[in-house]
Amino acid sequence: MNFITDAQLRGWLAQLIAESTVIAPRRAGEDLLLYQPVEDPDAICYDFGRSTVSPREFFLPATEALLTVERVRQATAGDGATAGNATVAGQWEVKLTEPHLQHDQVLFAVRPCDVHALTALDALMLKEPADAYYAERRARTTLIGLACEQMGSSCFCTSLGLSPDDGAGMDVMLYRADGGYILEILTDKGRVALASQAPVDFEGSRPQRAWPEAAYQVPPRAVWTDHFNDPYWASLAERCLSCKICSYICPTCRCFDVRDYTVAQAAGYQKIERLRCWDSCMAEGYRRIAGGHNPRAAKAQRLRNRFYCKFDYYPADFGPLACVGCGRCVDQCPVNVDITEVLQDVAAR
Amino acid sequence: MIEQICSIAEQILADKTVDVVIGYEAGTRGAVRPAFIRSAAEAGRLVWNDACTHNLANYVREKHVSPKKGAPPAKVGVILKACDARALNVLLRDNQAPRADLYLIGVACQGMRQNSGFAGRDLGDLELRCQDCAERVPAGCDVVVGEAPAAGVAPASAIARELDRLAALSPAERQAFWDAEFARCLRCYACRQACPACYCVECTAEQLEPSWIGVAIRTPEKRFFHTMRAYHLAGRCAGCDECARVCPVGVRLDLLNAWFRREIEGTYGYRAGQDATTPAPLASFVPSESLDL
Repeated sequence: MNFITDAQLRGWLAQLIAESTVIAPRRAGEDLLLYQPVEDPDAICYDFGRSTVSPREFFLPATEALLTVERVRQATAGDGATAGNATVAGQWEVKLTEPHLQHDQVLFAVRPCDVHALTALDALMLKEPADAYYAERRARTTLIGLACEQMGSSCFCTSLGLSPDDGAGMDVMLYRADGGYILEILTDKGRVALASQAPVDFEGSRPQRAWPEAAYQVPPRAVWTDHFNDPYWASLAERCLSCKICSYICPTCRCFDVRDYTVAQAAGYQKIERLRCWDSCMAEGYRRIAGGHNPRAAKAQRLRNRFYCKFDYYPADFGPLACVGCGRCVDQCPVNVDITEVLQDVAAR
Repeated sequence: MIEQICSIAEQILADKTVDVVIGYEAGTRGAVRPAFIRSAAEAGRLVWNDACTHNLANYVREKHVSPKKGAPPAKVGVILKACDARALNVLLRDNQAPRADLYLIGVACQGMRQNSGFAGRDLGDLELRCQDCAERVPAGCDVVVGEAPAAGVAPASAIARELDRLAALSPAERQAFWDAEFARCLRCYACRQACPACYCVECTAEQLEPSWIGVAIRTPEKRFFHTMRAYHLAGRCAGCDECARVCPVGVRLDLLNAWFRREIEGTYGYRAGQDATTPAPLASFVPSESLDL
C-alpha cells in the first residue's frame, strides 16, 4: 500500500496527460457528469458518485471507422506505395487504412462497476476470434480505479455479488483518505504508469466499509425461461418509449451496426468508410431483416429482450451477467422502467 | 382533485365509455409514471401531483392502433394538462386519432416541477415551460377537473429570455452553442420517442432508401437530425418540452423548438394545438396566399 497526496496526484495526472490520452470524469452541466479526455488535472471532477454515461465508449466508441478505403488517381508515374508495384499516371492507387489508437489511454477515476462491466464484455469481445479494435483499446488502456465511498440511491452492485470498493480488473486502485488517496498497484501496467512517481509507503490497510447487503436477487435462468410468454412484459412495456437511453448509457450493452459510406467524391479521389456505430435492441429497426420482416416488432418484445439479454442469454452464452448494478438505467429512464423492480416482479411471478 | 379524477376514471371504465384510461401512478423511488388503467377497480392507482409531467397524448395514437387484426381500436380515456391538450389537438388535426374514440380528462395544472418523472431525484423549481405558461386549464376536453387559479397567473419569460440571449449572438456563436449541445447527443432518439408530434412510421433519420443521414453518432449527423426534426415540428410543436425533459445529456431542445414556435407565431399568428382544425401553416396552402417571393 502507498499513499499519494492530492498535490502529488495532480502532478502524476499532469505527467500522464503529457504522455497519453487521459480520460476522466468532468462536470458537463447540472446533474451531468461525463468521462471525457482532459488536458488539465484541475478540469477533473474528483468528488462524484457515478457518471451519467458509462465509460464503455472508450472501448467501444459510439462511432468507429473499422476500415477506410481510398482510391487516388495518380497524376504522375512513380513507385507505388502499395504492393511494391510501380504506379502509372492515370491509374488508380488503392489504399486501405485500419484505425489504431494514436496514444495509449488512461481511464482515471473509473468505478468498480464499470470495470466489472469491461470484464463482462471481455467474455464476448475477447473470445476467439477476438474483436481486434476492442482488444487494442483494452490492451492500451490503463485503468486507475476510484473506490466508492457510498452506494448511490439506485446502485445495486452488491446484489450482483460485486463490491463498491473492489479493485478487481484495475491496474491501480485509489481509496479516498484525508489529504489524498491510499493507492494500491495491482498490475505491471499500473507499476509502469506510476514509475516516475514516488508515493509514500503506507503502513496499514485500505478502508474497510460495511456495504449494505444484497437488496435484490437475480432469478435463476430457469425462472426467466418460464416467464418468456408472461403478459407481464406487455404490461411493463406500455409506458416504455422505445428509446435507447437505457442501452446507450449502460456499461455492458454493446450492440452495434456496421455500414459502408462513401465519404468524398472529389475528382480523382474516392473514399469509403466502414463505420461501426452503437445500436440498441430497444430500437424498432434493430431486428428488421432483409425483406422487411421484424421478429421483434412489438415494443414489449424489445423491452423483454433487454432483460433476457442481461440475465439469461448473455450468461448462458458467455458466462457473466450483462448487468453490474450501476443503476444508470434506473436513474435515467424518463418513464421509470426500473430494472430492480423487474427483478423483483419476475421473482414474484 | 385526485378523488374527482379517480371517480371519473372509475365511471368511464365501468360504463365502458373507454377500454383504458391513461393517467399517472406512483412508481419506484418516488417517481411518478404513466399508468394504464383497464378496470374500474384499478382506478384508485391514479395519482395527481406536481410531478405528473409526462405528456400522455404521446400514448394515444399507439393505443388506437389496433393490436390484433380485425379487432376494433381501443377507446381511450386520457388525462391531459393544458400543454398536453394542445399536443392532442395537433394529433387530432393530423388525423392520428379519431376524437370520437377518445375521452379527454382535462386537469387544471399548477405547473410541474423539474426532475419530475425520474426515480430518486428531488423535485426542483417549476419547469421552465410551466413558469412561462399562461394557459393552465386545458381546452376541448370532455371534462375538466379543477379550476384556473383565482388570481390568474403571471407567466414569466424564462424561455423567451434565453431565446433573446441566443438571438443576440452572432451566427457563428449561435452555431457554436448548438454544436456544443449536439456534441453531447447520444442519438438515443428519446426526444423523438417522447414527442407526440413525432408519429412518422419511418423517421427521416432512419430511412434506408434514400439514406438521408448516416448512422454515425457524430456531430454532423446529430446536427442534421436535430435540425431536420425541428423543421418538421415547426408549427406542430405544442411546447410540452418532453424532448428536453427526457434527454439524458441535457440537450436544450426546448430552446430549439421554442425558437421555431416564436418564428411561426410571429409570422403566421398561429400556435400549434390552439384548436383541432386550423391547418398547420407550413403544411397547408391557401390559394389566396401571397406568392410575392
